[in-house]
Amino acid sequence: MIDVKDLHKSYGETEVLRGIDYTIEKGDRIVVVGPSGSGKSTFLRCLNLLETPSSGEIRFEGTLITDKKTNIDQVRRHMGMVFQQFNLFNNLNVMDNITFAPVKTGKYTREEARERALSLLRRVGLEDKADAYPSRLSGGQKQRIAIVRALAMDPDVMLFDEPTSALDPEMVGEVLDVMTDLADNGMTMVVVTHEMGFARHVGTNVLFMDEGKSLEAAPPEAFFENPQSPRLKTFLSKVLRH
Amino acid sequence: MGAAARPGAALVMWEGNMNEHFFEDLKRVFLDNGGFTLMLKGVGNTVIIALSAVVIGVVLGSVCAIIKVSDGKSVPVKIAKAVVGVYITVIRGTPLMVQLLFTYFGVFATAMRGNPHKAILIAVLVFGVNSGAYVAEIIRSGILAVDAGQMEAGRSLGLSHRTTMLRIVLPQAVKNIIPALGNEFIMLIKDSSVASAITVVEMTKRAQSLVSKFYVALPIYAVLALLYLALTSLAAEGMKLIEKRMRRSDRR
Ligand SMILES: Nc1ncnc2c1ncn2[C@@H]1O[C@H](COP(=O)(O)OP(=O)(O)OP(=O)(O)O)[C@@H](O)[C@H]1O
Ligand SMILES: [Mg+2]
Repeated sequence: MIDVKDLHKSYGETEVLRGIDYTIEKGDRIVVVGPSGSGKSTFLRCLNLLETPSSGEIRFEGTLITDKKTNIDQVRRHMGMVFQQFNLFNNLNVMDNITFAPVKTGKYTREEARERALSLLRRVGLEDKADAYPSRLSGGQKQRIAIVRALAMDPDVMLFDEPTSALDPEMVGEVLDVMTDLADNGMTMVVVTHEMGFARHVGTNVLFMDEGKSLEAAPPEAFFENPQSPRLKTFLSKVLRH
Repeated sequence: MGAAARPGAALVMWEGNMNEHFFEDLKRVFLDNGGFTLMLKGVGNTVIIALSAVVIGVVLGSVCAIIKVSDGKSVPVKIAKAVVGVYITVIRGTPLMVQLLFTYFGVFATAMRGNPHKAILIAVLVFGVNSGAYVAEIIRSGILAVDAGQMEAGRSLGLSHRTTMLRIVLPQAVKNIIPALGNEFIMLIKDSSVASAITVVEMTKRAQSLVSKFYVALPIYAVLALLYLALTSLAAEGMKLIEKRMRRSDRR
């Protein structure tokens, strides 16, 4: 579904991604882990071209999206993204946050979009918040709405960049539950996270990034029980200690 | 006995008796000799300049700000960005007085000769174009103050830069922009006194001619200062009202 070939990204002199090759198949749930600054976010944001790669190729469902002639807005309508800081539209209420893009892009009529929004809101347990503004919501609620907003476009893949890192601990669970539910329903997902439990139990593949490279990738079992590279061993010993 | 009756003694009288005759002079200039009506005419021109300039400034400034924050990389967009950049640099880098003199005595030296409104028309033009450069920066920084995550979220959903800018970012930027625009309007009210340099008879010029006619300065300039204060306070109150209404409709 997504094919990444020799992906490089530099900011000025510093090379943040140093040649990444990776293939994501339909139904995969890729969990990306790695130390801070290793390029996880940059990698994820290159997948929907929020960051422009310096070189390399990214194909999405056969389309070479790194080609300048590709209409990236069209491509992004098939890829949902969830941000660490939620980024709900502050000037719109929850219903408008969810329906704005599907209606604006002509994906659904206003009525269809509203109906879908309500059923998605029910699915995450927030149907009573349709008229609320983002500032009135807790972090966990905001993130669940942000997931719903992305789902409202009926995407083929969902990208998550540390969706629980900005949350108070007691709200992490409610967001992970929604993501697990998505996974159970067969959504293709790429998730950058520090939640090793999620990686282990929900991921189909775990990718370890270090200094701009994908150093090791394996199914969770092998990844956690039988790490190969010394860097990953050190990393795991640090994050799994507590 | 008033100084105007004995012009020969005026300059001698002027300084010595200024304070003692304050209220007498006030009455003489403004009530007995029509100074009040003349002054009001000056107020009219000041308000015309400030209001028209702020309207032109907002229109011009919005267009320039939109061009500056657009993500277009085509040649026409690049040229437009360069033009806007030069415009803002030139306007902000030269004194308003020079811009007025340059336009009135330079560019329009021979044009519009017979037009009795030439001076005020050119004043409106120059003040408007001047204000546009400042408003462009006000709007641009208002837009930049909106969290970049808002634009990213819009783009990640497949919305265009333009749609996200107009429907998501700008509505949030307005909150940052309105108070600064109020300040700009107040600046314009005060700065409009410079228009006298190109013969526009606005408040300050009117006051000056009253002073030379009646040979008293303090009461006239006191009234002038109070009039400016009244105008700027009125503008400030108006802005407060607008901000209050915005906050009420702002359910965040
Ligand atoms: N816009 C930018 N300009 C310059 N450098 C950047 C920019 N964005 C990221 N970087 C640098 O690129 C490197 C990788 O950043 P990235 O955000 O991808 O790391 P990360 O793995 O997501 O880290 P974290 O776990 O802290 O989120 C970092 O060293 C960061 O400082
Ligand atoms: Mg990151």
